[in-house]
Amino acid sequence: MEIQSCVTILNEWDIVAARQLGRNVAKELGFGTVDQARITTAISELARNIYLYAGQGQLCIDRLNEQGKTGLRIIAVDEGPGIPDIRKVMEDGFSTSGGLGAGLPGVRRLMDDFNIDSNPGEGTDIRATKWLR
Amino acid sequence: MRIPILKLKDCLLVSIQWELDDQTALQFQEDLLKKIHETNARGVVIDITSIDFIDSFIAKVLGDVINMSRLMGAKVVITGIQPAVAITLVELGIRLDDVMTALDLEKGLEKLQQELGD
Amino acid sequence: MYNEIISHIKNRKTEIIEEWIDRVKEAADERMISVVSEQVFQGTSYEFVDLILLNLDENNSEYKSKLEMFSEKIVRLGWPITFVVSGLRTFTHVVHDDLIQEKKISKDREGEYLEFLDNWLAPLSNEIIHTYASTWEKTVSLQKIALQELSAPLIPVVEHISIMPLVGTIDTERAKLIMENLLEGVVSHRAEVVLIDITGVPVVDTMVAHHVIQAAEAVHLVGARCMLVGIRPEIAQTIVNLGIDLNKFITTSTLRKGMEKALEMTNRKIVELEEVN
Repeated sequence: MEIQSCVTILNEWDIVAARQLGRNVAKELGFGTVDQARITTAISELARNIYLYAGQGQLCIDRLNEQGKTGLRIIAVDEGPGIPDIRKVMEDGFSTSGGLGAGLPGVRRLMDDFNIDSNPGEGTDIRATKWLR
Repeated sequence: MRIPILKLKDCLLVSIQWELDDQTALQFQEDLLKKIHETNARGVVIDITSIDFIDSFIAKVLGDVINMSRLMGAKVVITGIQPAVAITLVELGIRLDDVMTALDLEKGLEKLQQELGD
Repeated sequence: MYNEIISHIKNRKTEIIEEWIDRVKEAADERMISVVSEQVFQGTSYEFVDLILLNLDENNSEYKSKLEMFSEKIVRLGWPITFVVSGLRTFTHVVHDDLIQEKKISKDREGEYLEFLDNWLAPLSNEIIHTYASTWEKTVSLQKIALQELSAPLIPVVEHISIMPLVGTIDTERAKLIMENLLEGVVSHRAEVVLIDITGVPVVDTMVAHHVIQAAEAVHLVGARCMLVGIRPEIAQTIVNLGIDLNKFITTSTLRKGMEKALEMTNRKIVELEEVN
């Protein structure tokens, strides 16, 4: 069973909209304040990546219900330049934008499951899930 | 919307009351530095009790503004970081080791007075 | 085929059960025999045979609920699962052998019968294994909850100073819970110094150290200071040998020293009262 809500990321304000959507869904599913902060932060990082590197894309929130477990999945999809070396961006401290370089490895630490799929020239598909404890 | 910056003796007080978007954060950076320059403030307390998350961008803006203020001779104390925010920052891998922190505005001011040797 | 077997088992119930019990006893080791009392074992065996005969009587709804009750009873008796499963297999063989011995089936159809018996009893042993497994799962999840409840309280000992004693092994999930308790506690007790006591942590490896360092960083962010106390000699050795950098921390070997230090940090000290003459 999945219910999906999406935000199209075109400008900085859409990052805020994506965060708000995620926070609301997290609250609704019964996540605690710490997990809410984790989810909101992860969404903010992923949405900002889309805005900075791909220019535009979509950020969707899935409500999951699998085998009696409730969860929230963030899906960030864009058709931007893609990531040539995924292993490298998953290293701590690597950044191409002059930020803190906490981006993707940080998101992986905040969430329970993390999956990234990217081909140069074709775009990027990142999925990150948090399960209700 | 701009974040108000108040002056109390030789200190500046800032209370961030709503979720920061990128523009507001950058505007705040600019406003605070300008105000430090105008008032010759020696200390700044930034209270973020109402903020329920900080991502790497906002963390960078905050970290930058602290370093910039230091260059201009003002010490910054961040107060009221929520437990959830602290945990998220640490898990995200963001280091704010050198930043002075305090539980709340009152303790932040106390700490600043101590640091400034009053 | 059904009817032949049913009537055969019904007719020779006592013989079959006795043979079965003998064989199971032969196969079981000493320990097992002391756990399983003769009386209970016989009673259960009869109950079991009645149950599988019910299965063949095509009265399925009654059979299902009876089977569930029977499985639960077996689990409650505390018999090891290997004993029960091999007992079921033995039963198949006993019935089969008896059928041959009594010349109910010809040699050439032997395999066919054995297969039929196997298929007939398989759902039964599945149900019993399932009951065992779900009982274990339930126990594990209950223990998990119990362990969580046991996890790390933050104790406000004196004003501005709190202590968190850590006991037992720390895994990632527990570490997260500890961190949440710690930070919520620091804020609600308005602590200035927190002592994390690791006297009760058996092993401090890189992972545990990493969690403790993260906790200390988070404590710093909410505006308090963190001290690591209860560092035993062997823990000091592993920390240095593993190359873990705890230099940014204030650490002490005992909680007592840590407490004195914490009082010092909050501009206080313990004084002995002069004796009143």
